[in-house]
Amino acid sequence: MSRMRASISLAIVSLVLVVALGTPAISQTPKSGGTLNVTQREDLPQGFAIHETQTSSTVWPSMPCFNNLVIYDPAKKVESLDTIVGELAEKWSWQENYRNLVFFLRKGVKWHDGQPFTSKDVKYTFDMIREAPDAPAKLRINPRKDWYANVDKIETPDANTVVFHLKRPQPSILMMLASGYSPIYAAHVPPANYRTSCVGTGPFKLKEWRKGEFVEYVKNPDYFVKGRPYLDGLKYVIIVERGTRTAALQSGAVDIPFPGETSKTQSEQLKKAVPQLVVTPVSENVNNNIIMNIKKPPFDNLKVRLAVSHAIDRRALIQAVYQGGGVVGAAMAPKPHAFWGLGEKELEALPGYGKAADEKAKAKKLMAEAGYGPDKPLKVEMVTRAIPVYVDMASFVINELKQIGIESTLKQIETAQWHAMAVRGEYQIGANLTGLGADDPDGNFYENYACGSPRNYTHYCNEQVQKMFDQQSQEVDQKKRLQQVYAIQKKLEDDAARPILSWRIDYFTLWPHVKGLIAQNNVYNFGRMQEVWRDK
Amino acid sequence: MKSYVAQRLGIAVLTLVGMSIVIFALLRLAPGDIVDILFSTAGYVNESEKQAILKELGMDRPYWIQYLDWIRQILTGDLGKSYRYDIPAWDVIRPLVPVTIELAVLSIIVAVVLGVPTGVISAVRQDSTLDYVLRVLSLAGLSMPSFWLGMVIILGMVSWLGWIPPLTYVKPTDNFKAHAIQFMLPALAVGYRSSALIMRITRSSLLEVMREDYIRTAWAKGQAGRVVIWRHALKNAILPVVTVIGIEFAFLIGGLVVTETVFNLPGVARFLVQAILWRDYPIVQNLVMFIAIVVILSNLFVDMLYGVLDPRVRYG
Amino acid sequence: MASPVGVPVDLVVVTAPARPGWGTQLGRFIRRKPLGAAGGAIMLLMVVTALLAPWLQTHDPIATDASYTLGRPSAEHWLGTDHLGRDIYSRIVHGAWVSLVVGLGSTLLGSVLGGIIGLLSAYAGGKTDLITQRLLDILQGLPLLVLALVMSASLGPSVRNVIIAISIPIVPRAARVIRASVLSIREMQYVEAARALGVRHLRTAFRHILPNTVGPFIVLCTAQLGSAILVEATLSFLGMGVPEPYPSWGRMLSVSAAEYAQKAPHLVLFPGIAISLAVFGSNLLGDALRDTLDPRLRGSR
Repeated sequence: MSRMRASISLAIVSLVLVVALGTPAISQTPKSGGTLNVTQREDLPQGFAIHETQTSSTVWPSMPCFNNLVIYDPAKKVESLDTIVGELAEKWSWQENYRNLVFFLRKGVKWHDGQPFTSKDVKYTFDMIREAPDAPAKLRINPRKDWYANVDKIETPDANTVVFHLKRPQPSILMMLASGYSPIYAAHVPPANYRTSCVGTGPFKLKEWRKGEFVEYVKNPDYFVKGRPYLDGLKYVIIVERGTRTAALQSGAVDIPFPGETSKTQSEQLKKAVPQLVVTPVSENVNNNIIMNIKKPPFDNLKVRLAVSHAIDRRALIQAVYQGGGVVGAAMAPKPHAFWGLGEKELEALPGYGKAADEKAKAKKLMAEAGYGPDKPLKVEMVTRAIPVYVDMASFVINELKQIGIESTLKQIETAQWHAMAVRGEYQIGANLTGLGADDPDGNFYENYACGSPRNYTHYCNEQVQKMFDQQSQEVDQKKRLQQVYAIQKKLEDDAARPILSWRIDYFTLWPHVKGLIAQNNVYNFGRMQEVWRDK
Repeated sequence: MKSYVAQRLGIAVLTLVGMSIVIFALLRLAPGDIVDILFSTAGYVNESEKQAILKELGMDRPYWIQYLDWIRQILTGDLGKSYRYDIPAWDVIRPLVPVTIELAVLSIIVAVVLGVPTGVISAVRQDSTLDYVLRVLSLAGLSMPSFWLGMVIILGMVSWLGWIPPLTYVKPTDNFKAHAIQFMLPALAVGYRSSALIMRITRSSLLEVMREDYIRTAWAKGQAGRVVIWRHALKNAILPVVTVIGIEFAFLIGGLVVTETVFNLPGVARFLVQAILWRDYPIVQNLVMFIAIVVILSNLFVDMLYGVLDPRVRYG
Repeated sequence: MASPVGVPVDLVVVTAPARPGWGTQLGRFIRRKPLGAAGGAIMLLMVVTALLAPWLQTHDPIATDASYTLGRPSAEHWLGTDHLGRDIYSRIVHGAWVSLVVGLGSTLLGSVLGGIIGLLSAYAGGKTDLITQRLLDILQGLPLLVLALVMSASLGPSVRNVIIAISIPIVPRAARVIRASVLSIREMQYVEAARALGVRHLRTAFRHILPNTVGPFIVLCTAQLGSAILVEATLSFLGMGVPEPYPSWGRMLSVSAAEYAQKAPHLVLFPGIAISLAVFGSNLLGDALRDTLDPRLRGSR
């Protein structure tokens, strides 16, 4: 009898111990209070006007001020349709076979100036972005108009309900709405005001933006999530010099780095100097690629384009330019870092992923077939942006191309002229970086590969592939859609539409007292800071 | 004296007008404008939207109208609106000016404190080992890029002390120690360079004066060496030094630009670089004119001082 | 030069001093001004390095090597490698070429242009002189770096444009020095005498005045060379200087040096030392030349 009691007590004790020790750190109780210093890599280009820019320099310091309809769960590292949770929307549901999307909004939410938040604000925001004919306001610059090209009209049956009527089914639209790039603007604030200050519904209220120096936030006492935010305030310190940024993080002058700016070597350096720092490698959803002007010779010739793709040793590039801090992948970010990308096995079959010597031999053969050779080398001008990381990548590529008989000179284009030059097709070949606001095929394919899209710098236009884009966009069965997206990625690489060289990995390094900030696989989406707290 | 000042001021005004035309033209020569840059932060280009923004900013008007408009604004005290920040340019510049002025003044003080005594010692102990060593050290200061010196200082600090000076402006009233460190390090980096020039001028000027007859007479008369130097020589040698300090003030700007960048000080010089990169014409134009006015005024002031200090110079 | 009739002998001496051989002059210079000679040696080293760069390099300065990034100085890479695996020694050797070309190019361009302007302005005198002076004031009123920055932004990044950008601020300074020199010579009697004898203006200018401005011109050039090299380094550091793939010492310091400095301090040290050494040498040489050639500015015997 006593033995049985002993065993039961032992079992109970073990159970208790297992529960106590085995439970993950979520049981660590968040503490309220304190402030954190966050790195900002340059002064905000257009203030808090997220809808008029497409850069993390705006999104990262502005997200604390705003809310979306929905957002990617801040506790999950990899984003997908399954990790989307509500922010200003409590619930949502698809109707009519993914043709209508109904959002049921939270009640009692207030803007930072005290005005009530209603469905009117949602309709106002998205009508403005998609440039609806009866939109009451207009954005001076509108980079993501095409994200909502499929929206037919937006209805607000009452103050707490919004209905998006789509022209055709598009399950992905939720992915765009969850991105950091989709905050809700206030209908009673002119969009131009967001360039100088911020009126949002978010967890933090803007206290001061001292130009060139910092952006300071204080806790929003009326935030609709009780008990949040944990922090009393945030300070985004603007540090332009890269060396000074590293020194700042190392010395603790800042607690949180700028997303996407910490290389593998830097994190090793930081960790060596301060062993208690916590490093989390995470995909940035930013890739390096080669753009080639398909409209003009010599890159209108598929053989030459494929030769370029074969010639560049992707893995060597990752080693050379990123000291190993990157991964290979095709048009979508690869597994396990993201959802839609081709894995290592499928990549093997694509141009550029085999053994370096074999690939270069294939490339030389293609060049010969195209009419070039040792006695007739191909001379081109490679363009890239006048930014160190672009230049490093371009230097490497130039070296690779040299080995297959392509002589290139490097021309650095200043930021102000880059996009105009690329859009107008005034270049031959270029080394480029592309960041994607959401890990979703719709956003990526339509922006970068669709006929006539302003950001389709290569002017690649293939009717058959276009149809494939439309097909996958309407596909409601996720498994089927995945296969279709795989097929598109293969086709794009086989066409050398925009050979992807690598996907960047950020070695996000935090001080250990920063809790609740999970770096997500997209630099544009995890800046809300709602769940972040200080342990010390 | 008065007519001299009036004449100089008149010439100064003409010079400023000329400078305004030059800076206005140069800026518009630069490829790309604010609208191109705004679009680059959005990652695309759209011609009709671009035209709309150009019109909104008044940049679609003929250049000479834009120029006259700018001059008219300055004369009424309106510095225009920053293209980038959409707020009055003065509101953007105002908090930055005291930082740069403080850094400039501190740098000059460091330069004088380092330069004058070493120049005197070097002159008095002419051609000795000490003289050579001091000259080499000061020349080294003149030769080192000030941004490199700044970088080495910060990296050294973070490597050995695990600490860097504050990254945002600390008011002296908030935390004097932090404020002092924040400004002394860059002031040392910039001042070291300027001290070299001041040291050389002090030395050469003092040497020239020491060869003068009246000095030799005083020595011959038996007055103690040091008294001779301090009472007679230095008084007369100081003039060129004052001139150089005035000129150095203008050269300082170059050193301030990189030092403010490396040490992350929110000053006007660092801001100027950003404004040039952003083609923020109102800010660049007004800042450059401001610098030009400061330089011209400081030159005028130095000339006036010359007139006061040197009885041989008179302005009829 | 024929000595005009009736001119005092000492003036003739001024115009046509007996010149000892070059070798003797050089020896005298080295003995009297050891610091200047050291500076000259440094400059010579730099010129030789620049000219012989393709033969002095151990690796291709733009070849990347993924397997050996941020390597410490070793037998194979004398000064180590940078973050892309490029050999730093070879880049510094080629950087000498860039610094020399840009520094010398802009100094000569600016000094010659400024010198001609100063010469003509001083010779013409009167209203032309006054107006030219005011125009030059305009250019000189703007600090060197600021003007170079704006010019560089205006013209765009290329070696040629950087040379132009840095030369522009030098023009007014050169013009001022040459003008002062010309004015002092102009007054001398032998020039008046030459004119009285009917020698034409231009001939007077170039045959009589020009050779005597050579001294101040050389001093000016060496003085400006140091600052031209520094301005080029600063422009490159700020991202507005010589573009890739030309290795520039200044850009080597900006690009990734500070980020990786703690793992690889040689990235920050060597380019900085190179710049400092080059400017140091030119300053030493300039000082010594000034002492030798321009007696009025002598700071020491």
